[in-house]
Amino acid sequence: MRSAGRNIARSGKPVRRGNKPDLSVDFAGIKLKNPVLTASGTFGYGEEFADIIDLNRLGGVIVKGISLKPIKGNPPPRIWETPSGMLNAIGLENPGVDVFLRDKLPFLRNYDTAVLVNIFGYSLEEYVGVTERLDGVPGVSGLEVNISCPNVKAGGIVFGTDLKAAFELLSAVRKATRLPVIAKLSPNVTDITAFAKAASDAGCDGLSLINTLVGMAIDVRSRRPRLANCTGGLSGPAIRPVAVRMVWQAAKAVDLPIIGMGGIMTAEDALEFILAGASAVAVGTANFVNPRATLDIIDAMETFLTREGIGSIKELVGQVNRA
Amino acid sequence: MHRAKVLLNRPAGRGYYRLVLQAPALAAAAAPGHFVMLRVSENLDPLLARPFGISAIISKRYIELYYRVVGRGTTLLSTVEPGQTLTVLGPLGNGFPAPERSSTPLLVAGGSGFPPLLYFATHYGKQSHLFVGSRDKECLPPAAVMKDLRSRTKAIHYATEDGSRGVCGFVTDTLAKYLIRPAAGGAPVIYACGPNAMLAAVSRLAAEHSVPCYVSMEERMACGLGVCMGCSVSMKAGGYKRVCKEGPVFLASEIDWNDRIVLPVLQRK
Repeated sequence: MRSAGRNIARSGKPVRRGNKPDLSVDFAGIKLKNPVLTASGTFGYGEEFADIIDLNRLGGVIVKGISLKPIKGNPPPRIWETPSGMLNAIGLENPGVDVFLRDKLPFLRNYDTAVLVNIFGYSLEEYVGVTERLDGVPGVSGLEVNISCPNVKAGGIVFGTDLKAAFELLSAVRKATRLPVIAKLSPNVTDITAFAKAASDAGCDGLSLINTLVGMAIDVRSRRPRLANCTGGLSGPAIRPVAVRMVWQAAKAVDLPIIGMGGIMTAEDALEFILAGASAVAVGTANFVNPRATLDIIDAMETFLTREGIGSIKELVGQVNRA
Repeated sequence: MHRAKVLLNRPAGRGYYRLVLQAPALAAAAAPGHFVMLRVSENLDPLLARPFGISAIISKRYIELYYRVVGRGTTLLSTVEPGQTLTVLGPLGNGFPAPERSSTPLLVAGGSGFPPLLYFATHYGKQSHLFVGSRDKECLPPAAVMKDLRSRTKAIHYATEDGSRGVCGFVTDTLAKYLIRPAAGGAPVIYACGPNAMLAAVSRLAAEHSVPCYVSMEERMACGLGVCMGCSVSMKAGGYKRVCKEGPVFLASEIDWNDRIVLPVLQRK
């Protein structure tokens, strides 16, 4: 590998020595010091990671999904490892918005990083309710609206796989807050661009994709599903090519900034999403495998840009060449 | 997170491997009942780290783990050579509370649940009775471990389902017999680790005899840090607790055992 010390990059352009590349991103009006966020449900509310990594270095934290009322979650077993990935059916367990505001958010306010709150509900009214509770709260930079959880029957994916329901829900959330609204889309649809357009038409400020793919695993001896919920959401590097493809399609279809996610383990993985059209990325399952994954990715991304002689990460967004 | 050099990784008898890792910082912070998340390779498949209970700290620098080759992860782990490095996270979880000096710890080990109890016995074992149970004598903990446990505890009570060693029956049979007529000494406190069905039975027995009981739970986990919410166990008071964060050691009376035990038995029909 070429060392960073040489002054000609692989691209042939001279390296601006001494100048650090600019990793900062403006995402739907949210200032991110770098494009690396933590994916909802893989980073809790930040506390568990604060002893291991410096949260100030993160572009942002997307917290675990919050609902109006506390949710107990699904019975165990809740997870199952699969080739280069895992299935989960946690069932959106969370303490509810009141406990989040009282006990969780104050901790995150101590850090200089953007906080995006992932929200969900079992009805349109619940989505709007939690949105209203978060409007104008100091320390909240934006909302990521989960219309795509595959593990709850009544809510989540019902909105994410029905165009009309998705549009109505996102429109209602959009009207209920001044915060940037980012729609987290389900990959469990035939045409992702239709849902991207619905989110755009509803007035959303950005997109997050992808959520997990619905999957299943069976114990052939007991003949029982591995998960108590029978099906679960597949995540990890196994789903990355699907995610990159969907980000690429959505980016061409709408004019909204995208947070790309799905199996990102390394800076190179993250850059794939950015080239496909994502303005920022979220690291998910990798946090379980390597709690330092986000920081490793930020460091390696900076090294990559320096070596390639690229001044700003923004120059790469959507810059995938033709085949 | 630590990069730990493998000092030793070889069969220990009765289907177990003994793994010793050089991890001074981890060793310094560990206490009985703690566990580690160990990555068996740096590849993406298998993706997740595996939880292992610590069985000993050696010379303040090394951690000792025992494992049985049961799946893809442990098969890969068994091929790791001394000198290689492994990524290990820990020590994790809440360990066993230190017993009161005057009490008599009753250690109950079933299946491959002995490692945390071995660690416990090293620290607090002098007055303890160990109750160990397995299918047959070949499924007991490795002979070297049993020898170690003999020297660190006051007495060992064996139970095997085929009667090939000790009492013919379950570990709960020997424990029940003891609780009816306990040896003279301090008040008994139970510390158990093993399969959930055994823990549930021990918990019931402890409640019947009004003996405090701590259980070290095992559950599949992805992160070990309390964020994936994969290792939840149902609580009597409602809701779930995480084995990795609030556990792995719980007061047995807190756990909703019906949720874990009755359901699979009913479904087997």
